[in-house]
Amino acid sequence: MSGRTREFDRAAGIGRRFRGAGTFSVLRCDNVFMAAERRPSSGTTSTGTTSNGDDLDLVARVIDADTRALKELYDRHAGWLHARLMRRCNDSEVVADVLQDTFVALWKDATKFRGDGDVAGWLWGIAFRRLVSRLRSRKDVVLMPEWDGPTLGNVPAAEDEVLLGVEYGDLAGALRRLSPEFRSVVQAVVLDGLTPKEAGRLLGVRENTVKTRLHRAKAQLRGALSETALEQKWR
Amino acid sequence: MNAVDLHAVTKSYGRTRALDGVDLAFDRGVTGLLGPNGAGKTTLLRIVATSIAADSGTVRLLGLDPHGSNESPTSPGDVTSIRRELGYLPQELGYPSDMTAFGFVEYVAVLKEWNDRNRRIREVRRVLELVGLTDLATRKIAKLSGGQKRRVGLAQSLLGDPRILVLDEPTTGLDPVQRADLRRTLSVAGGHSAVLLSTHQTEDVAALCERVVVLVDGRARFDGVVTELVATAEGQVWLADDPGPDSVVSWRTGSGRHHVVGGPPPPGAIPAEPTLEDAYLLLLGADARRARAAPTQLS
Amino acid sequence: MSMQTWHADRDLLAAYVDGGLGPVEGASVEQHLNRCSQCRRAMGPLVDAPALDRVWAGVLEAVESPPLPLPARLARRLGVAEPTTILLAATASLRTAWVVSAFVALSFAAAAAALSGGAALAPFLLVAPLVPVLGVASAYGPREDPLESLVVTAPYGRTRLILVRSLGVLVSVLPFAVCLGLVLHGPVWLAVAWLGPALALVPILMALSCFVGPRAGATAVAIAWSGVVLLSLRGVPATWPVEATQQAAYAALAVISLGVLLVRTRQDRRIGAVL
Repeated sequence: MSGRTREFDRAAGIGRRFRGAGTFSVLRCDNVFMAAERRPSSGTTSTGTTSNGDDLDLVARVIDADTRALKELYDRHAGWLHARLMRRCNDSEVVADVLQDTFVALWKDATKFRGDGDVAGWLWGIAFRRLVSRLRSRKDVVLMPEWDGPTLGNVPAAEDEVLLGVEYGDLAGALRRLSPEFRSVVQAVVLDGLTPKEAGRLLGVRENTVKTRLHRAKAQLRGALSETALEQKWR
Repeated sequence: MNAVDLHAVTKSYGRTRALDGVDLAFDRGVTGLLGPNGAGKTTLLRIVATSIAADSGTVRLLGLDPHGSNESPTSPGDVTSIRRELGYLPQELGYPSDMTAFGFVEYVAVLKEWNDRNRRIREVRRVLELVGLTDLATRKIAKLSGGQKRRVGLAQSLLGDPRILVLDEPTTGLDPVQRADLRRTLSVAGGHSAVLLSTHQTEDVAALCERVVVLVDGRARFDGVVTELVATAEGQVWLADDPGPDSVVSWRTGSGRHHVVGGPPPPGAIPAEPTLEDAYLLLLGADARRARAAPTQLS
Repeated sequence: MSMQTWHADRDLLAAYVDGGLGPVEGASVEQHLNRCSQCRRAMGPLVDAPALDRVWAGVLEAVESPPLPLPARLARRLGVAEPTTILLAATASLRTAWVVSAFVALSFAAAAAALSGGAALAPFLLVAPLVPVLGVASAYGPREDPLESLVVTAPYGRTRLILVRSLGVLVSVLPFAVCLGLVLHGPVWLAVAWLGPALALVPILMALSCFVGPRAGATAVAIAWSGVVLLSLRGVPATWPVEATQQAAYAALAVISLGVLLVRTRQDRRIGAVL
């Protein structure tokens, strides 16, 4: 594990060169898998803790039947939840319903939320599970991002492009080289936070199959990383 | 035509005469009903709110007679028409234990025939906002403080901006800030409604009411503008070191001197500006002493 | 880990919202959002504001005025007006606990009657008419009804409220009891014959309640009816309480009760409430 940490620091150095800011520490293979295994995540970045603390205060007030606190939570989270849901399902009516159900569920079940967890992740968990169960019968709606399609227009700023290229160039390729079954497992479990059991239900396979595929996807990605020149770049 | 017009109204409970020939007429604006315990205030309010019937006398609310008589039986429509324009906050109001404030006011709104869901919800939100309970609307009433519960009761009485608003002791349990808010709300309501409120507190009457009726032992001892009542105490209020035995009532103020009301001026007394409380005490005079001594009558 | 963190700039977030990012970049942004409240907030204004406002309006309404319990929703489905369902939902005698205990009492009574062989119908005949009577008595509201003064002075009317509640109670309990009646031994008409006393006892209760209140009225009715049923154990056939002559008697009493109620509507110096 300590070897991996050094990679982080080196990447931080690279990042700073480009933006004067820190790392875009997102879809780094180990980061992602480690985050998934650390579930429930504890939001340990500096901005993360303070605002999650605020969120926790708001949740406490929601338990006390404070609608203003609910509105504040809504203003903070409804936007990104909506956007993220829309990337899974392009039916805006369904997304609106799921979003409404999510916040009503937040109101009703606020007491069930463990006081030390990550509110954003909890909300996404509720929202995504609701979306999945709602769409289970409908086979025509897209639930997974299009991994095989070309990258669409709307090119990000030049700096970001370079950054992304440095960060993922080969990781993206590695992910794309994964077979579709492995990719969907990674998407469902690692990125969207379902349990292997729920992912199995969504994808129509057994829980053990999901776990096996996940394990092998991990191994493949790690293998892919070592093959590339990424580590050389970061020396 | 006055919104509320009572003439020679009497009401007895068994052998107790709660109201003994009371006249009361008022329209838009805020009218205060002041009086000691057992004076008949609650009984009078209940008659105006169509909760009980008077034994005799005429009652006209919005020009209609809620009682009916042998000669002219009231159609059920009359009482219902009156009640459509009526808001009532009883002296003691209980709440079903597991309702939220919003749910309670919505229930009353349904009883007041707000049948369209969207309009009803908007109206409930409006009245809860008027009493400052928007943030607590979804809390169970059992978890609210006494003053907050009273405000829930006030909110339901304001549904539909009724033309007649009857409030029985609306300020009990409210702290000074909440009472100030209530005063603001009621002065706005007084612009378009005939508001009748009962209270023990002369400061509420002084701050809020244009007209005041003082009720003692089932009779109206004063009925007029507040300033008139204050004027009756003119020249009968002093500050003195020693009250003497002949005053109607006196008490020691914080400064150590005595506030003296009524009777001949004690030696060395300085005249003081009369307040509504002074006038009220003067009016009650011997009646007040008797009323305080007697067991509380049914009111 | 560096204390300074990267934040997505507006264009990147806009691209994400518009669906213009590929899967890898999109997934990256999502993982970042998991941890970064600043970017989450920054995304807010980029998302369709009217849609979000509409959803919030729905959330607020659902939270302030939650959906009614199942029986009320069923009633709505069957065409009962929405305001009526709200009034019914708040009625004590339509609460689950009450309805369940009514069902249990009836079931036990029917079981007792069925198991004891054709002779003894008494348990069922005793319980079945009394269940709706007790339900209607509780439709008057609790002894110290916290809302009494508001109900009396509201345009809807206390009488109407009691009648609506009573109807709700009868509708929820009677069909079940009829079904149980079919389980009994004895002639088939027995299954509905007990409805005669049931429907007659209700106006009798209401008339009595005008004078002595619902509790005393219900007690009186229960005692009287128990007496009638117990008489049937003394040498008369088990179906005696619900035979034709007796039914006529119940009907007559019911008519008299309705007359009493009618007279009360004409009484002078009454404010509103008939019941």
